[in-house]
Amino acid sequence: MRASPPFGAFHARGLVVVTGATGLLGAAVVRRWALASGGPRLAVIVRDPARWRALAARAGIPAAGIEVHEGDLLRAGLGISADARARLARRATAVVHLAADTTFSRPLAAARLVNVEGTRRLLELADDCPGVERFAFVSTAFAAGRRTGDVPESPAGAADEAVGWVNAYEQSKAEGEALVRSTRRDWLVVRPSTVVCDDTTGAVTQHNAVHQALRIFHAGMAAMIPGVEGSTLDAVPGDYAADAIARLALRPALDGATVHLCAGRGAMPLDELLDRTYALWARCAEWRRRGVSVPALGDLATWALFERTVEDTGDERLRRVTRAMTHFLPQLALPKRFATARADALLGHAAPPVRDYWTRMLAHLLDTGWRRAPAPRGAAA
Amino acid sequence: MIAACETGIRGIAYALPAATRSVRELAAVGALESHPSVLERFGFDRVYVAVEESPFELALRAAQRVLAAEDVDPASVGLLVYGGPPAAVALAPASRAPDAAPSVCTVARFRSPAARLQHELGLDAAAVLALDQLACTTLFGAVRVARALCAAEGIGRALCVSGEFYPALAGREALFNCTSDAACALLLERGGGRHRICGAATVTKGYYWDPTVRREEVVASYFPTAVRAIHSTLVDAGWGRDDVDWVIPHNVGVPSWQILMRLAGLERARLWTDGVAARGHALGGDNFMNLHDAVAAGSVRPGDRALLFSYGYGAHWTGLAVEV
Repeated sequence: MRASPPFGAFHARGLVVVTGATGLLGAAVVRRWALASGGPRLAVIVRDPARWRALAARAGIPAAGIEVHEGDLLRAGLGISADARARLARRATAVVHLAADTTFSRPLAAARLVNVEGTRRLLELADDCPGVERFAFVSTAFAAGRRTGDVPESPAGAADEAVGWVNAYEQSKAEGEALVRSTRRDWLVVRPSTVVCDDTTGAVTQHNAVHQALRIFHAGMAAMIPGVEGSTLDAVPGDYAADAIARLALRPALDGATVHLCAGRGAMPLDELLDRTYALWARCAEWRRRGVSVPALGDLATWALFERTVEDTGDERLRRVTRAMTHFLPQLALPKRFATARADALLGHAAPPVRDYWTRMLAHLLDTGWRRAPAPRGAAA
Repeated sequence: MIAACETGIRGIAYALPAATRSVRELAAVGALESHPSVLERFGFDRVYVAVEESPFELALRAAQRVLAAEDVDPASVGLLVYGGPPAAVALAPASRAPDAAPSVCTVARFRSPAARLQHELGLDAAAVLALDQLACTTLFGAVRVARALCAAEGIGRALCVSGEFYPALAGREALFNCTSDAACALLLERGGGRHRICGAATVTKGYYWDPTVRREEVVASYFPTAVRAIHSTLVDAGWGRDDVDWVIPHNVGVPSWQILMRLAGLERARLWTDGVAARGHALGGDNFMNLHDAVAAGSVRPGDRALLFSYGYGAHWTGLAVEV
């Protein structure tokens, strides 16, 4: 069981303002706080209060004690009324920013609207709150962009313009981090890896690009993927990430810290991942008889040539398949290892190795036909 | 077991129809699926189109050429392996191929292009076999059979002949590749010193037998299975990737080959692509036609190690390792 301290060592004594409470991680974090004995008082800023209430009911979040403020990161002043803003300003002691536009395929300008400009608006709100002593920004490990090698748990772990990013999501989150750091002194940046399942049972209630790629592989529609020697897939289960954020976001003495919530050494080598994946699928005789090949691995230059050639054919179906993969798969040809020493020390344990639950996650996808599993009561939606 | 390097390809000859068409001309008559600029970017320029020639006629011409060029007594050929369309298509000029279809309902269906080839070439001592349904890998299949029978039955010389056409009314594009009508003939010789066959491998995936239904899956399976077939060929030859001096391709789009070279780890080898623009993808066996031309041009030299690879609808991936 967890050796790290429970949610008791709260940095915030007043009101914790949370964004992203209707998202996968946000709901799970809020649920943990709301259920914790002596947990913080919470105020969530959500675009759709009705959706929040429905989600809270479904996920077993005791919403009665949680303030709900209708707001939108895209609107000036977050679209929060002056009265509500004033009330928040008097009582808020921490801001935990989980909301993000996580779509990989957005153009940069569109990704920045939420992930940078929305963050700026939330920072302005925090500036109006004299009692705020913590601004926790939930970023992504892949702010590291096209970096390769060891990625430190520090601002230097994020890529810069010279290194570049694989997609606009990564870049906009790196820019969001930089904005937070340059604006406040009480910042904490938490960088979760890709969340691929709810927990180590392998259940999946929210699909993302990884699951979409696996579906393409299973359908025998992937000719090649980027990948080089040393490539790994770093991923975490949602409960590990949510638990870690709930424990760390309000923890004292972490001002100016950057923490990786990543598999780190537990990332799975790409060749092992493909072997395990195709071996599981091959247990089905019907699938095995199709002779679906493991996609060929190529470096980024080969992937770029492949992508260009597919575009050149003008074939819409082939284009759709390639485009579905191109916004994140190039990460597989940029081998990197995320440092996790700080997170491991703070939490008292490392993230579960990917191989511990990968096969169960695949089995879940197969069993459900790649449909979302219904969110069980008490789980994040 | 058949010993490696026991059989060589002593001679190669081919025959092409008289008429050629540019990619643009083919597009103008509706013979392409893709825009001609796409095919031009993929390296295609002109292809050979049979009009009055029949597949048999070109196959006969290619076989006569190789026998004459190698100055071989036809009676010394112990095996003829023919790969090409059946009588209904093979014996009619391309322009009239559809009219021949009713002949499959009569005894005329047993008119054998392979036997006729044996007769007209004077291969009186040759056993005759015919291959079908290997599409663009037919000549590889013929070589495989001939090589095995040379070793197993002590046959000294074998003639492999392939002639493949699209009927005149058919389109000219197969999955982003522009095709030529052609025939190619190989003279194999046991213990032959030229073009020694050092290794071979074939992968067939019957799931993809219908490319009209599984088009995208065929495209997706092409590269990884090609990498596997190439690797198996090199293993069979006892070669490493760096041992390959030349890759002699089937004439599909040049970018496709550039991708495959990288995926297969063959960056060090040179790719002979002159044939793509000159005649496009000749179903009758363009790897061997390319090998012939590359040697004739002095690009590929004696002692060079060449890897030939082709894919055929059906679906077959096949490779051949040849020491020139």
